[in-house]
Amino acid sequence: MKKTALLISLVMVFGLLAVGCAMAAETPVYGGVARWHEVSNPPMLDPHMATDTTSARTYILMFDTLVTNSDDGQKILPWLAESWSASADGKVWTFKLRKGVYFHKTTEGGKATANGGREVTAQDWKWSFERMIRDKSPRAYFIDMVDGYQDMVDGKSKEWKGVKAIDKYTLQFTLKEPFAPFVSVLAYQALCVVPKEDVEKHGKNFRFHPVGSGAFTFESWKQDQKVTLKRNPGYWRKDASGKQLPYLDGFEIVVIPESTVAWEEFKKDNINFMRDVPERQVAEARKLLGKNFLYLPQPGIYYFGFNMQMAPFKDNKKLRQAMNYAIDRRRLNELVMEGLFTPAVGVMPPSMPGFNKNLKGYTFDPDKAKKLMAEAGYPNGLEITMQVNQSARNKAVAEAAQAQLAELGIKMNIKIVDWGVHLDMLDRGECEMYRMGWVVDYLDPDNFLYVNLSSRNPGIKGNYSYYKNAEVDKLLDEARVVTDQNKRIEMYRKAEEMIVEDAPWIFLLYYGNWIATQKYVRNAVLPAFGDYSMRMDDIWFAKK
Amino acid sequence: MLTHIIRKLLYTIPVLWGVVTAIFILMAVVPGDPARIMMGQRGDPDTLARIRHDLGLDLPLTTQYTKFLKELARGDLGMSYRNNEPVTTAIAHRFSATMRLAFWAMALAVAVGLTAGVISAAKQYSVFDYTAMFVAISGVSAPVFWVGLLLLLIFAYTLGWVPGVGAGDGSWKYLILPVITLGVRPAALIARLTRSCMLEVLNQDYIRTARAKGVAETFVIAKHALKNAMIPVVTVIGTQISELLSGAVLTESIFAWPGIGRLSIEALINRDFPLIRGTVIVMALIFLVANLIVDISYGFIDPRVRYDNE
Repeated sequence: MKKTALLISLVMVFGLLAVGCAMAAETPVYGGVARWHEVSNPPMLDPHMATDTTSARTYILMFDTLVTNSDDGQKILPWLAESWSASADGKVWTFKLRKGVYFHKTTEGGKATANGGREVTAQDWKWSFERMIRDKSPRAYFIDMVDGYQDMVDGKSKEWKGVKAIDKYTLQFTLKEPFAPFVSVLAYQALCVVPKEDVEKHGKNFRFHPVGSGAFTFESWKQDQKVTLKRNPGYWRKDASGKQLPYLDGFEIVVIPESTVAWEEFKKDNINFMRDVPERQVAEARKLLGKNFLYLPQPGIYYFGFNMQMAPFKDNKKLRQAMNYAIDRRRLNELVMEGLFTPAVGVMPPSMPGFNKNLKGYTFDPDKAKKLMAEAGYPNGLEITMQVNQSARNKAVAEAAQAQLAELGIKMNIKIVDWGVHLDMLDRGECEMYRMGWVVDYLDPDNFLYVNLSSRNPGIKGNYSYYKNAEVDKLLDEARVVTDQNKRIEMYRKAEEMIVEDAPWIFLLYYGNWIATQKYVRNAVLPAFGDYSMRMDDIWFAKK
Repeated sequence: MLTHIIRKLLYTIPVLWGVVTAIFILMAVVPGDPARIMMGQRGDPDTLARIRHDLGLDLPLTTQYTKFLKELARGDLGMSYRNNEPVTTAIAHRFSATMRLAFWAMALAVAVGLTAGVISAAKQYSVFDYTAMFVAISGVSAPVFWVGLLLLLIFAYTLGWVPGVGAGDGSWKYLILPVITLGVRPAALIARLTRSCMLEVLNQDYIRTARAKGVAETFVIAKHALKNAMIPVVTVIGTQISELLSGAVLTESIFAWPGIGRLSIEALINRDFPLIRGTVIVMALIFLVANLIVDISYGFIDPRVRYDNE
C-alpha cells in the first residue's frame, strides 16, 4: 500500500513537472533579433514615398495605420483607430483614435527625435495626409475620393477640407461620393501617421531617418547590406497578459541578392526569416522546418492578358475562350510551380471577400478549344507574340503555356523584356498579349475588378487589356457606392461571371505565398496579404 | 615624363566627355520610363506627370543635357531618382567596398599569376608547368558566378572555414572568397601570358650569354628576363582592371558585397539615369587612371620608352 502510494505520488509529481515544462516552453520570452532576408536594398523607408514591398516590409514595423487587415484578410481591425462609423449617406466617416499612442522618443542609437516622443493626435493624421499631397506621394491618389483632394493637388488650397481633426482623438473624412471600401483602403500600409517635427527636420531625407509610432525604431542602415531596427520601449501594444510588445529586441533586413545563396545562409541560421524560398528548395524546406514553413494562398492572380484593341483578339471572344480551354492549369502549376500556386477559375482568388466558389471557369478541354478555334476563324492555328517581364519564373510559365498552346496549332512567340520596358509598352497598348500579375492593395473586390477591368482604368491605371463591357462597368460603378455588403458581393460576382465569359485574360493561377522561419520562431503567422505585411509585434524566439 | 603625363591627363577630358555623352544618349533612347517604374504597376497619369516634372524628365533633351553637363562641371552627379540620395553619396558609400575587392583581387592575380608564369617558364614541361597551365586554362574558362557559388558551397557552407556572404563587420575574413572568385580569371590570364613572354625572352642570346658567364639562374630570371618580359604583361594587367570592374558586378551579387557593381545593376533595372551616369563616369575614370598608371609604368620598366617620349 505504501509502495503504491509512493508510486502514484511520484507519477503525479513528474506529470506536473512535465506539464509545467511544456507550459513554460510556450510562454513568450523576450529577446532575439529577427533577421529577415530580402533580395534588394529597400530604396527608402518613408511610407508615403515608397512604392515597393521591400520598403513596405521594413517601414510597416516603424509606422502605424488607422486600421489593419486581419491575418486571414477577411476583416478590418482597429489599429490606431479604435472604432469608426459612417453617416447614413456613406459620405462622412468618423474615426475615434486610440489614446496613449506615442511617436518614437529616440532613434539611431539613442538620439532624441524632434517630436520628443509625444502623443499621436487627430491633428497629426490630418497633417500626414496633407503631407502626402504636398510632398507628391505616389500613393496619395489612393484616397482621392476624399473631398478637397483635387484642390490640394492643384494648389488651390493649402488645407485638405475633407480631412478634419474634430478633437484630439477624433478624425473625420468627408468623401465626394459614398465609397463602400473606404475603410479597407485606409488599411493600406502607406497611409501612416508621421511626426511633423521629424519630417520637417529632415525634409526629403526623412526617407533615410524614419520616425514613426510603430513597434520598432530605426537604428541604422548600411546601404545594400542591412537595415537595423530596435524594439520601441514605448510601443502602445501589449499582449493578452499585459506585457509590453514587441518581444524581440530588434529586427534586421539582410540583403542577399541570390536566393539560392540565401537558402544556404538560412540553413546556417544566419537569417531566420526567408521569404520566397526558390521553388526547387521548397520540398527541402518543408521537410526541414515542418510547421515553421508557412504557406498560404495569396490574394493575387497571375494571368496572360489579351489586347482587346488589336487583332487577333479584338472582337474575337471565341479565340480568347479557346486559348483559355487550351491551358492545363493544374499540370502547369505542378510542373513549373511545384504545386505552390492554385489553378485559377476567375478573376478573384479564394481568399478575397466575394470569391465565388460556384464559378466554373475554364477547365482544360482541348476538344472544345479546337472547336472554338475553328469557329473563331483559325482552324489551323495562328501565330502570336506574348510579352513577358523578365524573371526565371515568368519564362518557365510562359514556355509551359507555349508548349500547351502549340498542341492547338498556336505558335506563341515569347518576348522577354525588363520591367520598365514592359510597363512602357503596356501603357501604350502595344502588346498583342502580355503577362501580368495582380496582388490586392486592399481586400475588397473593387481593388480587383474595378482597378483591372473597368474601362475607366485603361492602360496605366490597371486595365492593360483595354477591356470594355458597358454592363460590367455599370455593375462595378454601382458596387462602389452601395453600402450593403451582400448586395455589393452579388454585383461583383455578376460582373466577374461576365468578365470570365468575355475572357479578356487567360485566368491562369492564383498566387501562393510562403516563408521559411527557423524552428525556434514562435507565433509567426503568414498574413493573407503576403509575407511583407507580417507584423513582428508578437513573434518570439524559443531560444535567444 | 611630366609632359607625357600631362598630355595623357588632357586626353582623358575628351574621352570622358565622349563617355558621358554616349551614356546620356543611350539612356535617352532606351525604353523604360524611370518615373513610371517609381510609380509601381498601376498609377495615375496626373501623378506620373508630376513625378516626371519633378525629375526634369519633361524638359527637352538638349536642356537636360546642358543641365547635366553644367552640374558635372561642378562635380555634381545629380540625385538618384529612386531614393533622392545624391549620386556622389550613393557611390561614395559603395566605392571603397568595390575598390577593396578589386585591389585585393588584382594583387592576388598579379602575385599568383606572375609567380606561376615565371616558374612554369623556368621549369618548362615539368609537372608544375603542366599543372599550372591546366589550372590556368580552367580559370580562364570558368564563369565568375560558377566559381563563386562553388567556393561558397565548399568553404563556407560545407567546411565552414570562412563566412558566407556579406561584408560583415568589415574584417578581412569576408574578403577571402570574393577576392579569390574575382581574381581567378585575371590570375589565369597573367600566368599564361607571363609564361609565354618569359619563354620568348629566355631563348634570347643575351640570356644564353648571362648563363654562360655563370650568372645564377635566379638572377638570370629575376634581373635579366622578367623585366624584359613585363611590358605585354603590364598591358594585360591594365586591361584586366576593366574586367575586374565588370566581374565585380557578378561577384558582388553572389556574395552580397555592397559595391558599385550591384548599385549599377539596380540603377539600370530602375532606369535611375543619374545613378547610371554616375556609376559609368566613375568606372570610366577608374579605367582611365589605371591605364595612365600602366602607361607611366612602361617608362620605368623599359628606359627606351622614356627616351622615345623625350
